[in-house]
Amino acid sequence: MNEMQRLVLPAALPANRPPRLANAWLAARLAWRQLRAERARLWTAIAGVMFACVLVFMQLGFRSALFDSATALPQAMHGELFLVNPMTTAMFKPEQFPRVRAFQTLADPDVAQAVPIYLSFATWRNPETGVRRTIELIGFDTETGAVAFPGLDNVIEALKRPDTIAFDRKSRPEFGNVPRLLAEGGPFEVQIADRRLQLVGLIEIGPSFGADGNAVMSETNFRRIISQRRASNTDLVALRLRSGADIPAVQARLRQLLPRDVAVVTYPELVAWERNYWENATPIGFIFMFGSLMGLVVGMVIVYQILFSDIASHIPEYATLKAMGYAHSYLRRAVMAAALLLAVLGFIPGILTSVGLYHVVAQATFLPLEMDLHRGVTVFGMIFAMCAGAGLLAVRKLRDANPADMF
Amino acid sequence: MTSPVWIRGLNYAYGEGELRRPVLRDVALEIHAGEIVLLTGPSGSGKTTLLTLVGALRAMQEGECQVLGQQLAGATEDQRVLLRRRIGFIFQQHNLLGFLTAQQNVAMSLELDPATTERERLERAGAMLAAVGLGDRLDATPARLSGGQRQRVAVARALAGNPGLILADEPTAALDRVSGQEVVHLLRDLARSRGVPILLVTHDPRILDIADRIIEMEDGRILPGSPLD
Repeated sequence: MNEMQRLVLPAALPANRPPRLANAWLAARLAWRQLRAERARLWTAIAGVMFACVLVFMQLGFRSALFDSATALPQAMHGELFLVNPMTTAMFKPEQFPRVRAFQTLADPDVAQAVPIYLSFATWRNPETGVRRTIELIGFDTETGAVAFPGLDNVIEALKRPDTIAFDRKSRPEFGNVPRLLAEGGPFEVQIADRRLQLVGLIEIGPSFGADGNAVMSETNFRRIISQRRASNTDLVALRLRSGADIPAVQARLRQLLPRDVAVVTYPELVAWERNYWENATPIGFIFMFGSLMGLVVGMVIVYQILFSDIASHIPEYATLKAMGYAHSYLRRAVMAAALLLAVLGFIPGILTSVGLYHVVAQATFLPLEMDLHRGVTVFGMIFAMCAGAGLLAVRKLRDANPADMF
Repeated sequence: MTSPVWIRGLNYAYGEGELRRPVLRDVALEIHAGEIVLLTGPSGSGKTTLLTLVGALRAMQEGECQVLGQQLAGATEDQRVLLRRRIGFIFQQHNLLGFLTAQQNVAMSLELDPATTERERLERAGAMLAAVGLGDRLDATPARLSGGQRQRVAVARALAGNPGLILADEPTAALDRVSGQEVVHLLRDLARSRGVPILLVTHDPRILDIADRIIEMEDGRILPGSPLD
């Protein structure tokens, strides 16, 4: 009992409530100690959160890759304003309009250059196997700098020669391993539609959901291949303005000037135009959102199950804590802390796995899948909300912990 | 009126309407500072309900009940939670948290006091465990302790917060004779040395010797002849 005398304790615990922050920390520590004690359960929960995390990352990744690749062509454009047929829904199926509209814009003192761009599809014969496949042809005056495909600068001179093309190195492999053939034997002959052309170099665009491969050529060579088309029609016009020009003002003036058969759009509007088609006019955007949602629901059910069984197997202990003077809200905080801990613990391996999978999928499909900060933060928010939702469902079970039933 | 426990005209019933079943009828009781009171009686006599009412684990229905200066008639849930922090509970089952060590379990009863630091809490918990003879088992989890040792940890937990009242329900029911004796004698010595009153519900005739007063209940009433104060 000597030991007892040395214990100096306050006569009674102060009746004021503990500060919220310290309280939350202690509740979180209790939650962590409880999670840690049941290793198998903890790993199941982490795997569940990770699964949801990877699923959502893949869905959002595909969705964004789709939109990125679909807008690769408009994104490569160098121009401040563009003319498009208002009936065009997407770049891979453009509506034509009179080329003369391009020259009309030159009446505006701020328009320095008007570059018609011709888009069409033709069949390409694989130089290795001879199998035919549809390729998108992009024709324009290569010297104007209106289009900025990487690698274009190296082939500008060569493209001036008759019957020459540059090939998109990111085209799907079904088009043949052109980069290797080019590296081995230099420029070689290929067949597009019924015409034989010289393949003189490589540029970079990337496949989209609308086109599996691309070839770039001069305006004249484009007309040689697509001979049945009226030369006075074009598909897209890039306008380059004098430096310092007020883009919205020029846009407004051109709208006044030109007939209603062309729309005058800015660069961001052009990209949004293309993106809008894939997002709203196709079910693709919805499908990916639905997939993400399913992942979150499955993850939520798993986390809920884990939290629920953790509470259910500790009912007498929780009731004892309540008898000791712990408020119901303290236990609720502990459960929520457990849920949010699981969100963090599952998210970390989830994002790492997703980065790896992005790499693998990008190599297999040539779609531009990349992790970025914005998507990471968005998915973390979703996972956090998912776990919080599971926690809110599970805390209802805490009502069963009634200290009056303990005696 | 300054007694730790002061009860007058306490009635309590379970159920509603036709199913209403009274369990406590006109109970009056007073427990003085430092007193050890045993509550016995057949099961269903209402002694456990009385204990939960005194412990502020249940809302009152009728009558007056003052515990440690807090009037429980009409008390809010928050007031009851605050009062519970000043009462030490010992249950039939130890109800220790399996994922915490003995020391951490005892420290749980101190975490409610915001004025303490983690180090103080662990030190006090360690000293408390030493006082119940478990100074060398601080880091053992409940699974690695015997039944008697677990109940001793529960005693240390109930006493660590320096409560003004200790409520115990059949603390020896799950223990063999020797460890049961050990636990209640320990409880009595610790309470005596601090002047803390104990209200203890028991069926166990082997521990009646620790009581200052024995109160018998039957059918929701305290039997005539039981000393009421």
